[in-house]
Amino acid sequence: MPQGEIIASFLAPHPPHLVYGENPPQNEPRSQGGWEPLRWAYEHARASLDAMKPDVLLVHSPHWITTVGHHFLGVRQLSGKSVDPIFPNLFRYEFSLDVDVELAEACCEEGRKAGLVTKMMRNPNFRVDYGTITTLHMIRPQWDIPVVGLSANNTPYYLNTKEGLGEMDLLGKATREAIRKTGRKAVLLISNTLSHWHFHEEPAVPEDMSQEHPENMAGYQWDMRIIELMRKGRMQEVHKLLPQFIDEAFAEVKSGAFTWAHAAMNYPEIPAELYGYGSVIGTGNAVMEWNLRKAGLSMLDEQAMVSA
Amino acid sequence: MTVVSAFLVPGSPLPLLDPVAPGWGRLAAAMRRAGRSLAASRPDVVLVYSTQWFAVLDQLWLVRPRSTGVHVDENWHELGDMPFDIAADVDLAQACVRGSPEVGVHAKGVDYDGFPLDSGTISACTLLELGGADRPVVVASNNLYHSGDTTARLAEMAVARAQEQNKRVAVVGVGGLSGSVYREEIDTRNDRIHNPGDDKWNRRILRLIESGDVRELQAVLPQYVGEARVDMGFKHFHWVSGALGGRFHGARVHDYNSTYGAGAAVIEFSL
Repeated sequence: MPQGEIIASFLAPHPPHLVYGENPPQNEPRSQGGWEPLRWAYEHARASLDAMKPDVLLVHSPHWITTVGHHFLGVRQLSGKSVDPIFPNLFRYEFSLDVDVELAEACCEEGRKAGLVTKMMRNPNFRVDYGTITTLHMIRPQWDIPVVGLSANNTPYYLNTKEGLGEMDLLGKATREAIRKTGRKAVLLISNTLSHWHFHEEPAVPEDMSQEHPENMAGYQWDMRIIELMRKGRMQEVHKLLPQFIDEAFAEVKSGAFTWAHAAMNYPEIPAELYGYGSVIGTGNAVMEWNLRKAGLSMLDEQAMVSA
Repeated sequence: MTVVSAFLVPGSPLPLLDPVAPGWGRLAAAMRRAGRSLAASRPDVVLVYSTQWFAVLDQLWLVRPRSTGVHVDENWHELGDMPFDIAADVDLAQACVRGSPEVGVHAKGVDYDGFPLDSGTISACTLLELGGADRPVVVASNNLYHSGDTTARLAEMAVARAQEQNKRVAVVGVGGLSGSVYREEIDTRNDRIHNPGDDKWNRRILRLIESGDVRELQAVLPQYVGEARVDMGFKHFHWVSGALGGRFHGARVHDYNSTYGAGAAVIEFSL
């Protein structure tokens, strides 16, 4: 079996506006563009991902919410039409994706061994959430790389941020172990917005960029502070600030994907590449990459697990 | 009289998906009884509000003449599919979209193939037998930023629009009582309210509803919502209360039970 590898992770936010602005054939509504700086940021991320040649993309989405445990897509092929319940006018997308069920099962089992409640999703009629689909489309519109989809257990909201992120730390470490044991070359996708304050009404023309700006100054300033720390590789500070960032900027990273991915990467203290930042209906969105392969930290071996 | 019957029913899909579990089976049976009572009131349309249809921009109203499909619950996917075929009263729903600004709320209609109706709406429509050609529905979303008062005003507005169209309406609020749940797998035969404090609160609230003591009910609701983690601030009750103009004489509780630890009741209001 080849040696397992976590090549990189991407902060890959999922506003459906980005798909809408791009006008791919899978999406029914048509737009006049919009949110170009973020879409151009994703172009860089797509090129970088393409060069990595991963076996699998793992995506944790805050819009597959589960109350009992952490769930994993477990059907080899899923397809259908995903309509965004919040923005049905923008996102009605025909999707078809292949699932790496073997890796999903390994993640599920390793999570269980770590003390988490985990469950496989085996229902072939399951509607994959729009967060998962938007992130996957924006990072890899060819849909030619198998996927592992993880639900967002609502612990951070039901209990508190600390306990929720504690679970995500365990889930991340379990994911790392599953990737190691299955010998996959994996890329992790953090499907999250940063500051999440948003407008409560939509412009008459959603892609009217004269109406688009950060919803509030405090959220924007928080985003810049966090992004700057990430760009400098000061990740311990980021993780320390995360609860305050979540509280004060209503940051979507509360749902756990960010902590999950960084735990899986063994909390690397490396700088992130910022591909772009922009607001979507007032929320703050950054496309960023942590490349473990370039940092020489990507290969997973027994010794690495012991030190973790 | 425009409002001819009113009900509060659980939004959890468990009674529909797994009625073999004793408590969930009793809730399902109670919903079917409530459905027969609703049908006997001969409404032209049913005004439905589900806490699980989330909206964050605007107030959404279902204006699609017929919504069909197969829904799978995001948490209880292993229990099977939830097929649905739901007819809407489009004239009234459109009137509600137009009328929402009268109560200070921006609104939109939803008419899209494949729109993901929520588990609560589908469970309620299935078990109460709503959404057929003889009992079309008007379904309202739960805007997460709306208060109970705003929800009540929307319901009141919807009843007024129905009155303008000379329609008899039934009102249904879909949602739970106390919100603490079990977060690990349980033996469903032993499902019970998650903690005694929640159970005590639920029973107190049900007694007040049964007795029709609206004044006392309104006084204790904020404390109930805070202490028992009530589903979405009990906005589904505000929906019913708003539709009834804040008045009802009492109620019959067809069943009170638990859905994975959360409180659930099937309530028929006496008008």
